[in-house]
Amino acid sequence: MNLRDFRNFTIRDYQDLFAKGELVPRELLTIFLERIREVDSLLHAFLFVNEDRAFARAQKLEEEGRDRSVCPPLWGIPIAIKDNICTLGIPTTCASRILEGYIPPYNATVIERLEAAGAIILGKTNMDEFAMGSSTENSAYGPTRNPFDLERVPGGSSGGSAAALASLEAPLALGSDTGGSVRQPAAFCGIVGLRPTYGRVSRYGLVSFASSLDQIGPMARTVEDTITLFEIISGRDERDSTCAPYPPFSRAEIPQEEEVRKMIIGLPREYFSEGVDSRIVGTIEEVLKGLEKEGLTIREVSLPHTSYALEAYYIVAPSEASSNLARYDGVLYGLREGGEGTLQDMYFRTRTSGFGAEVKRRILLGTYSLSSGYYDAYYLKGMKVRTLVRQDFERAFQECHLLITPVSPVFPFFLGERTKNPYEMYLADVFTIPSAMAGIPALSLNCGYVDNLPVGLQIIAGPFQEGVLFGLALFLEQMLSLPLPLPEIGQQRRS
Amino acid sequence: MPGHVSLEEVRKIAQLAKLSFSEEELTRFFQDISDIIAHFEKLNELDLEDVSPTSHISWSQPPMNPDEPVDWQGSDLVLKHAPCAAGRYFIVPKVVEKEEKLS
Repeated sequence: MNLRDFRNFTIRDYQDLFAKGELVPRELLTIFLERIREVDSLLHAFLFVNEDRAFARAQKLEEEGRDRSVCPPLWGIPIAIKDNICTLGIPTTCASRILEGYIPPYNATVIERLEAAGAIILGKTNMDEFAMGSSTENSAYGPTRNPFDLERVPGGSSGGSAAALASLEAPLALGSDTGGSVRQPAAFCGIVGLRPTYGRVSRYGLVSFASSLDQIGPMARTVEDTITLFEIISGRDERDSTCAPYPPFSRAEIPQEEEVRKMIIGLPREYFSEGVDSRIVGTIEEVLKGLEKEGLTIREVSLPHTSYALEAYYIVAPSEASSNLARYDGVLYGLREGGEGTLQDMYFRTRTSGFGAEVKRRILLGTYSLSSGYYDAYYLKGMKVRTLVRQDFERAFQECHLLITPVSPVFPFFLGERTKNPYEMYLADVFTIPSAMAGIPALSLNCGYVDNLPVGLQIIAGPFQEGVLFGLALFLEQMLSLPLPLPEIGQQRRS
Repeated sequence: MPGHVSLEEVRKIAQLAKLSFSEEELTRFFQDISDIIAHFEKLNELDLEDVSPTSHISWSQPPMNPDEPVDWQGSDLVLKHAPCAAGRYFIVPKVVEKEEKLS
């Protein structure tokens, strides 16, 4: 077997090979490790490759044998984990100098569940420092590159996970989404990424950025695998008080094809405005025509507060971040810049040397929004706008089952293109932020290619309506039948 | 005046956030933050008088857990990876200066 054979594989196909005895976990792991050795010096999707432990784990699984009657769904499957999710004994840096060398003393709930399901932790993926960014250029360890074009960004902040999937360095990955960090890189790399309903996946062990917005999300090459991963990581967790007390997601929640054909799809007109690349709008309009032919109803709707959500987000998220990141003081874990002086001096030295520019910018912004005299003018206002954004969606879902929008107004941009002006980078998230502010699920799906760059389509659903969302996503994936990504890495460099 | 942050305010905020900057860096961050805050002015177009704030999105009733201590075996690992520890304690630089009066 070699990597090219796996291009169109889902987890079920690997499991079939395991069941037939034609493949064993160590062999599969070796193929992915070789792929990482082959292309990751160009892509830099990984911050840490968990080679030794992964190999030991694969060997252990083989020794225990594969019990066909109760075989766990991810038995022997390697998975890449975004580096802001705590992994026992495996470095977790959030792509920050301040957590360089940090080795968590516990596993995140999602990691426990993955391991119980038989998965093998392949490594930790690159990201924007503390998930603050939309290009993975804010990593303290250097940027990740887009497998479709090495001169372009893979999106962010889960850019490492998205690039690893598109280049088939890994068959599955986890990301996290605060304002679009799963969906935008998924769109830029032509793979699938889900931001779940707030509270559907435990945040225990996810390093906090903005607690009222952060969610861990499954990322995969197909909708089918995204569902498999979501079934495993979702569901109640006593260790996260914001985790909804509901059972894990079940496939039974996904409607049948004939139900999907009866769906009414809303198109929020604010998401198809002038600022969106016309080739992205054109690609999505073709898809919509296809859906109409299949019997679905397309209806224009309005989410009038869309253009205010971005500003409100950049008040709320940095405010929460400035509070959450106060814990990095050089005392309990991570970096300490000691030397002469008092405790206060140590705090200043550690934080000043440990945090990168974007993290400092957001800490300052959040501290300002929360500071005495400005709380009413900013933070309170941000929270009020959040109410309006949520109400927009509630009204829209009275008229339709799901919404379809672009994920990003632009194609993957060039490295360095947007780093000079922070606000321009913030605009990259304009279509992913509103659903995050409302805490509702949204999925990014590749819906076509323009000049060999993928176009992401976003499906947004009401709270806990992931089943309905997957129903349409599966339908669309089948209707479009696009080839799964496997770009020739490094062959696209322009002269 | 909201929307018009001053260099001195950014200096003060940096102190609160325990970050130090050179004058050059401070000026740069001041410009970035002024630009971003200027965009927040857009929210003044909205009438928010009677809107209740959403501090936290919860689409479900938060569960109540029994308040019982759980045995956790990880404390040795926590101390092992601390920047500076001795025995069961984290070591930090001196907190109170000798000459400082305790009131």
